[in-house]
Amino acid sequence: MSPYDIRDPSAQRAYMMANEAIVRACLESDVKVFASYPGSPTTEILDTFERICNDMDVRMDISANEKVALETAVGAAMVGCRSFCSMKSVGMNVASDALYVMAYTGVRSGCVVLLADDPHAHSSQSEQDGRWYGYNSYLPMLDPSDPQEAYEMVKFAYALSERYGTIVLLRTTTRINHQSAVVGTSEMRWTSFSKVNWKDNRRNYSAVGELARKGKMRLLETIGRIADDTRMTSFNRIEHFDGYALKKGGPGRSDGYTFGIATSGISYQYVLEALMRLKIKARILKIGMINPMPVALISGFLEGIDDLIVVEELSPYLETFIASAAQGSFSGLRIYGKRTGHLSEFSELDVPLVQRAIANVTGAEIPFDHLEHLKSMGSIADGIPMRPPVFCAGCPHRGTFTALRMALGDKGKVYLSNDIGCYTMLVLPPFSWSDSQLCMGSSLGIAAGVDLAAEEDVVSVIGDSTFFHAGLPGLVNAVHNGHDLTLLILDNSVTAMTGQQSHPGTEDAAGGRKGIKIDIEGALRGVGVSDITVIDPFQIRKSIGPMKEALKRSGVRAIISRGECALYHFRRYRRSGARTVPFFIDQEKCRKPYNCIKDFMCPAISLGPDRIPVISPHICVGCGECAQLCGFGSIRSTAVLKGGEDRVYYTPEDYGKLKEATTKSEEVER
Amino acid sequence: MKGAFNVLYCGVGGQGVVLMANIIGRACASEGIKVISGELHGLSQRSGSVHVHQRMGDDVRSPLIPYGECDVVLALEPIEALRYAYFLKRGGTVVTSTVVIHPPAETSMIVRGEKERYMEYEDVSSALVSSGMIVYGIDPLSIAMEAGEPQAENVVMVGALCALEGSPVSKKAVFSAVADSVPAKTKEVNLRAFDMGYLELSKRLRKL
Ligand SMILES: Cc1ncc(C[n+]2csc(CCOP(=O)(O)OP(=O)(O)O)c2C)c(N)n1
Repeated sequence: MSPYDIRDPSAQRAYMMANEAIVRACLESDVKVFASYPGSPTTEILDTFERICNDMDVRMDISANEKVALETAVGAAMVGCRSFCSMKSVGMNVASDALYVMAYTGVRSGCVVLLADDPHAHSSQSEQDGRWYGYNSYLPMLDPSDPQEAYEMVKFAYALSERYGTIVLLRTTTRINHQSAVVGTSEMRWTSFSKVNWKDNRRNYSAVGELARKGKMRLLETIGRIADDTRMTSFNRIEHFDGYALKKGGPGRSDGYTFGIATSGISYQYVLEALMRLKIKARILKIGMINPMPVALISGFLEGIDDLIVVEELSPYLETFIASAAQGSFSGLRIYGKRTGHLSEFSELDVPLVQRAIANVTGAEIPFDHLEHLKSMGSIADGIPMRPPVFCAGCPHRGTFTALRMALGDKGKVYLSNDIGCYTMLVLPPFSWSDSQLCMGSSLGIAAGVDLAAEEDVVSVIGDSTFFHAGLPGLVNAVHNGHDLTLLILDNSVTAMTGQQSHPGTEDAAGGRKGIKIDIEGALRGVGVSDITVIDPFQIRKSIGPMKEALKRSGVRAIISRGECALYHFRRYRRSGARTVPFFIDQEKCRKPYNCIKDFMCPAISLGPDRIPVISPHICVGCGECAQLCGFGSIRSTAVLKGGEDRVYYTPEDYGKLKEATTKSEEVER
Repeated sequence: MKGAFNVLYCGVGGQGVVLMANIIGRACASEGIKVISGELHGLSQRSGSVHVHQRMGDDVRSPLIPYGECDVVLALEPIEALRYAYFLKRGGTVVTSTVVIHPPAETSMIVRGEKERYMEYEDVSSALVSSGMIVYGIDPLSIAMEAGEPQAENVVMVGALCALEGSPVSKKAVFSAVADSVPAKTKEVNLRAFDMGYLELSKRLRKL
């Protein structure tokens, strides 16, 4: 068995994540342009494209934000190139201004846009329901139930997109994107990229006033035709669960089923497992195309059903349409779901919740009650220490915030307007700090309002990727309107939180292509910020003074804290052959003030014998931040044990010098 | 394969939890065993708690193991084993590393006087045993170091999993999946780590 290579045209089947299967489906569909901005749970789509784009001749941008990504993909499809764009749920909020108009104008070549919801907000700031985007924009939307179906739907979506000249939306959820399974794939007929000719194929994609009204008319007609197109319904089906197994089913009263379940997406799988346990009969409507809704199929499905439960996550989307389809013709039908409280609009579903809901409706006996088991086992982990995510060992953010806290003295005296990135963890212990933190770029808009309304000074915190994503308009606004605020820009060279992708402020562009680095100072000056301070987050003590000064001044003051993301930095550092030089705590000298632990929480530091802190040499990267907090000088670089200097070694060149200073046999390990 | 075999992999961000599930997943694929896994990526990777659900068998459909139906918890860190033990069926099996990684939050509580002492491996194992679980503690870190690479501790655990009764996938298939899943230059070390993990647990099970 050789490992599956997504680039191999004849690769047949393999265990893979849905996000990879989606990319394979794009390649099989001959997608030539891909644009995206990272965001969980879609990031592996971007990462996979980045890995293969050079080999497969796919033109790819990691865009500045989701709106630009969508416009890039649609621009390519307008002139005649198949394109794909993926984004997380909240990304569509950024992109949707464009989406609604693109629905009017349509596209020439296939264009599929994936938007991934995150019920339970595992890694998002809200658990919004993206299905309404399909309904609201009148665009067809597909909702897969497993990785195989996600793969098939992408391929289908391209055919649909080109048949009707429309963008097709694929809506997933975290449990689909991050699910791995064996996926069967097909032969790939790969073609090399060539530019399309626009001049001879020109058409107009403008929408305003009369043109917009025409576009809307055309859109209504298109979505109507899709609703009537029976080829479109292959992902919508009726099935029978006969108490033991799943069978193909059809509409109609004659099958003897009186209990029905309507569902889609991941919930479909929970339904089937619940039924296998409850061993009851049910007629199932599995909806794969959730916009336009299959109204005729729904009516056929409802024939003869007395009790129906609608099983879906988040809002009562299917339920709303089914209830309205049932109105009048099925007056005796009892519909259960969100509105009856059998299922919650909060969080995700799972087999136990669905099993209980179905049992509550049907009176079926629950053979094994998972939720009771959970209750009885609940106490087993009582008193277990929590393990929330923390800043990594060597993370520049820890140093920046330590310095900021020291510069302020009392952290309560400012309004801290935080943004979205790894630094969002500022709100967690040990800092437990942030007055607000909403969505990408909002640190600046909120700061403007706070500056207008509150007595306190405002400090906005924003990462480099977020600065370019949605921070710039807020900054321009603050400058123009003469606001007073300190803007702390955390320039760690990458979009760290999602896995260290490039962004407009980095030298690389997608796939290692050379990009043009947008200089943050240059951008600041360009929009009229002249008060710029640059600090080194690894030099905590030295950063306090300049921060204090900047905080005292007025107008928009920018403090750029520049230090590379530790994961990103040390991955390249190690690849270059250099090894990290950890710090250690002199057990004799330590007086246990615990400054290196309290309010610091580095994953490399724990308590050893006699409760003296110890540094794990395989976690510590030698950033030296903790050494600066120790009043007794007991934290030092292990370099001193090997004849080196007591300082930070974090460039390969520095390490090289250290190596020269040590004899071969004494070489610092790890 | 009839029925289901459910494994929950867990550990601390950075330990290679996802790779463990990928190796077994690939091995299942090579033997035609239906397998699905549910994982979470994102914030939880920053030294936080990480877990992956994996389910094998013809009837499995949900990527999440229903509470009380998990056969094995395979843990790279014992506190994490205990954290997810509520997924286990009564009498389920825990194969865990005995090497505790103390959460920074716990260390901070201790120095602030909010907590008496660290949770240790013995606390974890006795809590598990008293709830009727079968617990095998091994030290994958030492084994991995002996194999030649401390980072191979996840592969040691995969080897241990293969020694368990009930695992539907063959040792041979997992062996090739390890070879296919690790960087070429660490292949030899990882295969050694795999064998050593297998041997370690086999010995415990008195098979050898
Ligand atoms: C609209 C939107 N898109 C994407 C995301 C996902 N996301 C969360 S944080 C982040 C990147 C933050 O990068 P940066 O500001 O540079 O901070 P860092 O993580 O590097 O500290 C992204 C892409 C999101 N939350 N919202």
